[in-house]
Amino acid sequence: MSSLGQTLHARLLRIVGLFRRQQRERELAEELESHLQLHIEDNLRAGMTLEAARRDALLRLGGVEQTKEICRDQRGIPFLEALFRDVRYTLRVFHKTPGFTAVVALTLALGIGANSAIFSLVNGILLVSLPYAKPEQLVSITGTYPKGGIVAMREQMRTMDIAAYYEGREFNLTGAGEPVRLTGTLVSAELFSVLGARPELGRTFYPGEDLAGQDSYIILSHALWQQRFGGDRAILGRTIGIEGAGRQVVGVMPEDFRFPSPKTQVWIPLHNDSRNAVLYWADDFMPVVGRLRPGFTIEQARTEIRLFQSRVASLFPWPMPVAWNADVSVVPLQSGMVADVRLRLLMLLGAVALVVLIACANFANLMLARSAIREKEIAIRTALGAGRSRIVGQLLTESVMLGCLGGALGLALAFKGLSILKAMLPADTPRLADSHMDWRVLAFTGVLAIFTGLISGLAPALQSSRTASAETLRSGGRSGSLPVSQRLRSGLVVAEVAFAVLLVIAAGLLIRSFWALSHVDRGFRSEHVLTARITPNQSFCNDPARCVTFYRTLLDQVRALPGVSAAAVVNTLPLDGRVAKRSLDVEDFLVPAGGNAPLFWLNAVSSDYFRVMNIPALAGRVFTDADVSGAPVAVITSETARRYWPNQNAVGKHIRLLNDKDWRTIVGVIPDVRAYDLRRNIPKWIDGVAYVPYNSAATLEDKRVPAEMTIALRTASDDAQIAATLRTVVASVNPEAPVSEVQPMDLVVLEAVAAPRATAVLFMVFAGLALALGVIGIYGVLSFLVSNRTREIGIRMALGAQRRSVLWSVMKEGGALSLIGIALGMAGAFALMRLLSTELYAVHSTDPATYAAVAIIIAAAASLACYIPAHRATRVDPMIALRYE
Amino acid sequence: MGDKTDVWQGTLALMILKTLETLGPLHGYGIARRIEQISGDQLSVNYGTIYPALLKLEQEGCVESEWGVSDNNRKAKYYKLTRAGRKQLEREAREWQQAQAILAKFLSATEPST
Repeated sequence: MSSLGQTLHARLLRIVGLFRRQQRERELAEELESHLQLHIEDNLRAGMTLEAARRDALLRLGGVEQTKEICRDQRGIPFLEALFRDVRYTLRVFHKTPGFTAVVALTLALGIGANSAIFSLVNGILLVSLPYAKPEQLVSITGTYPKGGIVAMREQMRTMDIAAYYEGREFNLTGAGEPVRLTGTLVSAELFSVLGARPELGRTFYPGEDLAGQDSYIILSHALWQQRFGGDRAILGRTIGIEGAGRQVVGVMPEDFRFPSPKTQVWIPLHNDSRNAVLYWADDFMPVVGRLRPGFTIEQARTEIRLFQSRVASLFPWPMPVAWNADVSVVPLQSGMVADVRLRLLMLLGAVALVVLIACANFANLMLARSAIREKEIAIRTALGAGRSRIVGQLLTESVMLGCLGGALGLALAFKGLSILKAMLPADTPRLADSHMDWRVLAFTGVLAIFTGLISGLAPALQSSRTASAETLRSGGRSGSLPVSQRLRSGLVVAEVAFAVLLVIAAGLLIRSFWALSHVDRGFRSEHVLTARITPNQSFCNDPARCVTFYRTLLDQVRALPGVSAAAVVNTLPLDGRVAKRSLDVEDFLVPAGGNAPLFWLNAVSSDYFRVMNIPALAGRVFTDADVSGAPVAVITSETARRYWPNQNAVGKHIRLLNDKDWRTIVGVIPDVRAYDLRRNIPKWIDGVAYVPYNSAATLEDKRVPAEMTIALRTASDDAQIAATLRTVVASVNPEAPVSEVQPMDLVVLEAVAAPRATAVLFMVFAGLALALGVIGIYGVLSFLVSNRTREIGIRMALGAQRRSVLWSVMKEGGALSLIGIALGMAGAFALMRLLSTELYAVHSTDPATYAAVAIIIAAAASLACYIPAHRATRVDPMIALRYE
Repeated sequence: MGDKTDVWQGTLALMILKTLETLGPLHGYGIARRIEQISGDQLSVNYGTIYPALLKLEQEGCVESEWGVSDNNRKAKYYKLTRAGRKQLEREAREWQQAQAILAKFLSATEPST
């Protein structure tokens, strides 16, 4: 009816109406007062008595307060005004019940904070797009390829541009102060352009700069440039010594460029040399990234890569196994990079989701309990004309505000939690550095806080708004638990217990698995062993004899140090992530037609190695000093022996490094050593493990003697001091050989279980939280029950009920709820724990012992939670209880 | 007031506007009495409902209010029709009459024989 202009005008005035409240209130009161006076005068004139006149005027007006209320609704925006009033009222409630408010806010803060912290990890690792240009075009090819395969792929692919990288290579930087070991990544010249990454300084590699002979360039990371070269811009064009050879610095990458991981300090071109068949086709199998060319889809890329895979095997100078990369595919780069941690992250997210659900159930229970106490207040408000929606609105405002309070506190916890998480998670977790509190985390926390408030508050709000007001008022507000409310509260407790059971079982399984993993028989002893990486330049070891002599001299000097009882070198220290592969011939073993020679892990060790690492000989003997220059010998592990000579004595048999002239006699068999993975001796793709004395004949796949060795010392005194001395000794023997990764063997072992430990610890924390909240929940419900039944208990005791039977009757109620919860939780765990099975070692996801232990723990905790209120019930004084209401 | 609110408020607003046009500036009580008299006591409502309606009209700019003194020396808030209010009255009165005419025709039409 009214025009648009009028409507707008009215809206505006109504918004203005939110302000200047008091003046308007006064005017309205005056206006109504004058209305009444006018009416009364008229009535008096019509001959009524003063009393009747006043009464009639009031009646005809329809009540002063009611009229005011309708006018208020018309004046402002009722919804907003109501909200303001509810918020103000809630603040008063908070102020009056600081204990309740604090308990609820803290409980929620723990739940929400855990969620925000884990979500910021999920956000940084799984959700935020990669920090490269048009990240949606970036893909990762599953499967790895040698240099030759990558060059062929780059030349043949029409759907995408291709680049490869090889992470975790190490290089000596010499000629600029003390020699240091750098971690670098070998890259295709095209890597930077494929990623769309620009340098901070200088340029990236040009195409062709990864060809042998044209590749003496290097790109530095921002951090290395700052630390080592003082951020000097003149570094561009300078030649620095890498592995004893000069490389020209062409660029510096910005701080936020962390591909493939933050560990990378330098990027060095691949050395593509098609004339060296081994290096080109066998040496490094590398992961491949691609950028979809405009107009092509990932499906087309998949089709093309499968086609390529069917052709590429024929390019190899030797037959390739049919199974090699048979399931090759193309996936978005982001999911490819984080595939390994996705499951673990989602598991954690699931765990914290359970925690927050438990916190919600607790919160809802507390609200229910309180709304029962506040029945009278609500009844009065209803009697005064508050509609059901206003009551629900008021109660929801309260719970949402509590939720938000918890959310704000939770955010503060999450800030702290995230930094703890980052420190606790294994450092090689991809994209860990990308995880921080951003707007997404804030939004998530906000939504979670409001959602928590809403779902926790909805049931109590609806429940109490249903209260029949007259009845409540008559009974003085202590009529107490309605059966529906009680059932709801019991249901919530059952859910809490069930969720807690789920989390505690998950934690139990992970802890058992972690314990098994850290107590597995590793085949060596790590106590009192100090290790350090010693890495002369590759060029220094072009002459193998010089290399071998260097280490022998070094060992002689180190052995003489005080506090060192034995010393040895090894090319691949167990569990430090390095392995060396070697194809070899095995006596009595015929390579099947079309197959490959057995592929072994080869350890080149000095003679004292087994003594330092405390590895005994199971059969035969370990090496002696005489073996270094004597007849060619080898030691194998027991699994290798069983594989090739089942039910025979392997000692006296022979193996031969492929392309070697001489067979080596096996002189001993040692226990299996967990060299790479604590979970198994050797992976499927490795056929055995052999140890050979470190001398000029101990060659690897590239026919070179390993130059980079780890020294292992059996020590009796202070490691720090020995480490310092070790550096001096190495520098005196070879000033260009950096000493890095100085660490006790214990630490190496510890790092090998970093990921399962982090998962187990996190689950333990969450399970502890869940258990505590669950116990509080049971306690709360039973306390409420007891205080509501004070009168009944009093009567029963007055009639002669024994304290014990009262105790039992309360315990029974709590016990029943806990048992149902435990049973449901067990059933849920039985179905869900399968998700954990990839994380578990030596314990099954339905491990009966863990389930039983958890059931006992939860039952014990629940009994304690039941006992306190039950005990209180027995102390009820019948006389007081009967006078109570 | 229930579902009839909208209809009632619309009609009430029209009656207020007409009252103000006929009698000039008037206070809330006067308007309420006038409406009651004209409707021949058939429309017996709470006087109180007049105030939110006046407030709405004021917000829409159809009426203005100021404090004044009544015939018998009482302080009272007087409402006055604005130009916008006059236009609104004309328009609504016309619409109302049209609607009434249509409805009258509709209701007096003889039922078609089957």
